[in-house]
Amino acid sequence: MSHMTNPLATPDQLYQRRSFSALPTELQDAIFFSAQCLTQAAGVLLHLPQSTTAQANVLLARYWLVEPFMSDDYEFSDMSAATLYLTAKISPTPRSPRDVTNVYTYLLSPSSPFLRPSSLPRAPNIPKTYYLSQASYQAFHARLLAAEAHILYTLSFNTHVALPHAVCITYLQALDFLAQQRKEPLAKRALAHLNTALLSPQMLYLTSQPNALAVAAIYSAARDVGAKMPECEWWEVFDVDREELGFLVVGMRSVLGWARKMRVDVPGMKDGGMLRRADVEGEMRRRGLFLGNGRAVGGEEEDPEAEMARKMDEKMAEMEARG
Amino acid sequence: MASKGSRWAYQEEDAALEAQLKKEKEEKKRQKAEKARKLEAERKKQQQQQQQAHDTAAAPPPPSRPAANHDDNDDAGVSEPYRGGQRDDGNDGAHGPPVKRRRISPDRDTAPTAAAAAPTPNPAGGVGVSDSTSSSSSSKLLRFEGGAFGRCHSVENYDKLNDIEEGAYGWVARAQEAATGKVVALKRLKIDPKDRSGLPVTGLREIQILKDCDHRNVVKLQEVVVGDDTSKIDSIFLVLDFVEHDLKSILEDMPEPFLASEVKTLLLQLASGVAYLHTNWILHRDLKTSNLLLNNRGQLKIADFGMARYVGDPPPAKLTQLVVTLWYRAPELLLGATRYSTAIDMWSVGCIFGELLTREPLLQGKNEVDELTHIFSLCGIPTDDSWPSFRRLPNARALRLPHTSAATGAATGSVIRAKFPLLTAAGVALLNGLLALDPDRRPSARDMLDHEYFRQDPKPKQEAMFPTFPSKAGQERRRRRTTPNAPARGQQAVDLGAVDFSGIFSGRDREERGGGFSLRMV
Repeated sequence: MSHMTNPLATPDQLYQRRSFSALPTELQDAIFFSAQCLTQAAGVLLHLPQSTTAQANVLLARYWLVEPFMSDDYEFSDMSAATLYLTAKISPTPRSPRDVTNVYTYLLSPSSPFLRPSSLPRAPNIPKTYYLSQASYQAFHARLLAAEAHILYTLSFNTHVALPHAVCITYLQALDFLAQQRKEPLAKRALAHLNTALLSPQMLYLTSQPNALAVAAIYSAARDVGAKMPECEWWEVFDVDREELGFLVVGMRSVLGWARKMRVDVPGMKDGGMLRRADVEGEMRRRGLFLGNGRAVGGEEEDPEAEMARKMDEKMAEMEARG
Repeated sequence: MASKGSRWAYQEEDAALEAQLKKEKEEKKRQKAEKARKLEAERKKQQQQQQQAHDTAAAPPPPSRPAANHDDNDDAGVSEPYRGGQRDDGNDGAHGPPVKRRRISPDRDTAPTAAAAAPTPNPAGGVGVSDSTSSSSSSKLLRFEGGAFGRCHSVENYDKLNDIEEGAYGWVARAQEAATGKVVALKRLKIDPKDRSGLPVTGLREIQILKDCDHRNVVKLQEVVVGDDTSKIDSIFLVLDFVEHDLKSILEDMPEPFLASEVKTLLLQLASGVAYLHTNWILHRDLKTSNLLLNNRGQLKIADFGMARYVGDPPPAKLTQLVVTLWYRAPELLLGATRYSTAIDMWSVGCIFGELLTREPLLQGKNEVDELTHIFSLCGIPTDDSWPSFRRLPNARALRLPHTSAATGAATGSVIRAKFPLLTAAGVALLNGLLALDPDRRPSARDMLDHEYFRQDPKPKQEAMFPTFPSKAGQERRRRRTTPNAPARGQQAVDLGAVDFSGIFSGRDREERGGGFSLRMV
């Protein structure tokens, strides 16, 4: 059954991430989204099959659910590179650290069109900006391997990812949608929905099993191309209930609109390119928020409870002084 | 593990204990039967009631109702599946009790968690709460459970008891889980810090494959733990079921060979484990007696997946030919095939079959060429009949084989029949099949399970009736005989070059002519 099942996020994990993170939700989502896009872009440049890249996306999402965004020392792009390197390594299509390093250096350089808003002019291609010196290659390589080990540790070495893509094709066959050539757009569209869902900050791949994702993608695709679906509750045939289907369909279809809005709203995203730790730290400072552990901003460590107590003390003193 | 020793020497206490256990067991059995009877009665009563209720109330049960949350629906077009539902929502009061909602926060009892629902509308998509929504509807939906994910635990949770072995591929020790007292085997993954590609891919594959496997004849990976210093992951341990013996050391030490019935049980278990692996697209690629474990209850478990990998159908084009320990390596691998399939594991099973019968490895070649010599002298020289495609293999072109004409044909055929005089015809047929030179003619593990050999008398012995052996892994370091190891990754495959095999059969003509049969008991 392992082709049909994934380990899923526990409600506790999701709750922890949303409620106790050092970062506001919209920043978390922006980081998540841009890192997943980065993995996809790198997968294309490395000529990796989408099955490998998509697995890397899922592993990265799992990693960040266990290890909150700013709690490790790694750059977000390093984590993306390490998951992609790791999944490629255990797949039939491994890629060398050198290739991975080159591709990421290019994607992170100002010459790359990665996530560059279409409103901006095309970035000039200046090879010097993505030239990789031996020293920086060594440094990146070392970070890559350390991050790889850290990811494996964080996920208990469980690299199993079951993707819904093949399931989706099987379901389309079962629904007799692939018999005719002209129905091909439906399959294409359904796979597109599945790939989009990888980028969703709602982490749909961590909350639903492949069968549910596949059914939701087919449902959405059928709506897009106006295909006629069975009148009955056909999703139940594939063991998906109506509520989960509804949630997933909304989740998948809202990614585009959300991403457009996010790229205007979140300051670091306006100029395009990958979000960096420094961007996030800068943004937090701008908002007058401090990152935990005092590591990032250099302030002294203070746990929230102590801070609260101190503030209350100050308030009391103030009131007493007034009174 | 003190009791292990006493298992060996039967004592009076044991007899008493056994009697007591037996009594307890019977008591339990009786209780169970009673319980089942009660349940049955209750069920019948319920059925009757239901029947009555159905007869009296002519109205059909209330229709299933969707419980969708529309607040976060920012794309109006999608809500179609709920249109009916929305209408229903309107007159909720009229329709009796509200629908059960799926649980969306970690735990209702801990108060503040309801907030969790807000950002991710429904995190509980399939997290085990299986039938809350479907309970009201008639259809029963299957729930897929895949477990959860999280950080590794520390190896410090285990206390080491003793080393079991230290081989080319790592170090294995017997250990005890501190919290539960359970005895496990800890296998340390060998990590080369100078390896520029990070953690070894073979180790990662082994973990991935073992995690996916769940079969009684495949060793179970309980978890993966790491050393205490997690800032740098440099010691990784696989926590495996502890199994008392491996077949190799049993074979080396047993005064008498296994009985035919015992060989059958072992082979059946091996075949069912291999069949499980092959149906799940896993090639083991290093089957040998030292990788087959046997516990004190006669259960065989396949271990050591350091060479294993997933394959597709058709098999991938460029697999490494440097797999499987030399003595168990199939001829197509020796001849340089890079596209091979499950048949290579079946060849190894054949070698193990022979070894179980004689207590000696069947084909002990000193190197690749010598191994081929052994194979050809046992199984015969490949001909266009017995292995049509063998000339196309990379290393086969330069081979010089003895001429096989009709006259000498008998002298260059298989001598398996002669080598195992005590084996029944069905047994020889199976062994011959497994050791067929042509990989396409070897039976699959599934075929093997249905083989005539296992239906013949003597019938396979029950696992529980297996003799027990003193456990070396439990008490002492093993005496190792020199067995070649599985080939190392990245090693160069040997180019056999032009090899002359024409001499293999030079002495055989004379032998065969002697008596025409062999009386040697092996």
